[in-house]
Amino acid sequence: METQLKKFGQLLISLTGVVILWSLFANSGFISQDLFPTPGQVWAAAIELYQDGVLVSDLKVSLTRAAIGFSIGASLGILIGLLTARIKLISIALEPFLNLLRPIPAIALVPVAIVWFGIGEGSKYFVISYTVFLAVWLNTHAGASDVASTYIRAARSLGASKFREFFEVIIPASAPHIVVGLRLGAALAFLSLVAAELSGASSGIGFRLQDARQFMRTDRMFVGLIELGILGALLDAVFVFFSRRIVHWENA
Amino acid sequence: MSAAIHANDMSGVGRIHIKNAAVSFNAPGRRTIEALAPTELVIDSGSFISLIGPSGCGKSTLLNAVGGFVPLSAGSIELDDEPVTGINPDVGVVFQQYALFPWFTALGNVMFALKRFKISKEERLSRAYAALKEVGLDGRESTYPGQLSGGMRQRVALARTFVTSPKVLLMDEPFGALDAQTRVVMHDILLRVWEAHKATVIFVTHDVDEALILSDKVHIMSSGPGRIIDTMEVAQERPRHIDALGEQFLKNRNHIIKLLRQPGAADH
Repeated sequence: METQLKKFGQLLISLTGVVILWSLFANSGFISQDLFPTPGQVWAAAIELYQDGVLVSDLKVSLTRAAIGFSIGASLGILIGLLTARIKLISIALEPFLNLLRPIPAIALVPVAIVWFGIGEGSKYFVISYTVFLAVWLNTHAGASDVASTYIRAARSLGASKFREFFEVIIPASAPHIVVGLRLGAALAFLSLVAAELSGASSGIGFRLQDARQFMRTDRMFVGLIELGILGALLDAVFVFFSRRIVHWENA
Repeated sequence: MSAAIHANDMSGVGRIHIKNAAVSFNAPGRRTIEALAPTELVIDSGSFISLIGPSGCGKSTLLNAVGGFVPLSAGSIELDDEPVTGINPDVGVVFQQYALFPWFTALGNVMFALKRFKISKEERLSRAYAALKEVGLDGRESTYPGQLSGGMRQRVALARTFVTSPKVLLMDEPFGALDAQTRVVMHDILLRVWEAHKATVIFVTHDVDEALILSDKVHIMSSGPGRIIDTMEVAQERPRHIDALGEQFLKNRNHIIKLLRQPGAADH
């Protein structure tokens, strides 16, 4: 409790400091406030977006996209990661291909995704789940290939079937790696979400950023950027909170 | 209880016959390393034997061969006249590293061993509780291994292995990581549980006192290639407490230490 209070205090001090510096800089006259708005202007823009209703609706749209894309990518990543790690034939068939996919950034897939799925939701899901899949697959694969042989020997000498070995030993033993992959995947889901929304979307935080550019509304852009920062940080904190409980033995 | 009781019990199951068994590994550069030279050994059912020697003497290899973890390059190993062909749940293992599953509680770990039996959940639970009580861990059932001390973890491992009443128990330096006092406690628990379950125990150690306190027979091994160089029968009655050991114990101890010190017998 005391450390949480400390952390909160630290956050407060750090944020206050940033806002003060930002305010001083924006009001200094070195740079036009059209290019670099003050905290007050950004706050006003946020209120304006809220009153228009788009702040909440964008948030909903973007979060839904991220959540759906994440769910698809994460489930596939865990499934295929376990298979490539534990089944030789599948590893031989899939690993080289997946290693070729790895260096292709999500943003490079956006044009293809738009051609394939249009500018609707399909292309967003595709780009996000692709990114999430690769991160989750890679970590799951690493974790599940690296299960300590003592665990497997112990399971077998205790008469566990292959089925139980997989579900009661391999999966929990790889869980810490899977959780790391999911956390990384959640962060990447946001990155690719914005990439997908910046080009070819009619709603969402990324679209709102692009839209603001057309009218030189840097204050609105700042709202979008701050929104993304807060969302990402919150999501990560929630993730850490749950993963500590899921793989509780890792922090013992 | 005394060792004499077990001498009467040797008609039971768990007799191991190691018939000229050898193990070799492929090393880089097309070399093969003979980890265990052809070895002939009979281990009476229900007896407690130790394998002692320096690292690299093949004691763990011999143990792993009995457990079916490493294939033989020659010879065979028979458990109650059946050849050992792989991992067998009749052969329980307590590993050197703590091989408890950290994601299961103490109770969950013991239950894991019982799941292969077609018995009711209530029966399973009551046997698991009884096994933990037997090693003095009642009240700790829902504790995770990460929250237990090293000695307590090995007690869970012991309960997990003995709960299925295996014919043979293999122990690879199970108490190597524990401090001296905890070891003494563990020795008492191990002997008590062993006497209750009558399994044949193969105990690997490099601690001479530990081997002499626990075993009916001590096989001294040497490296290059790994082989048994001497066997010593320990006739003293149990319990054998380290602070009240007679002259015979010291003689045995000196004999083993001398053997281990011989050139070629020790590699470190």
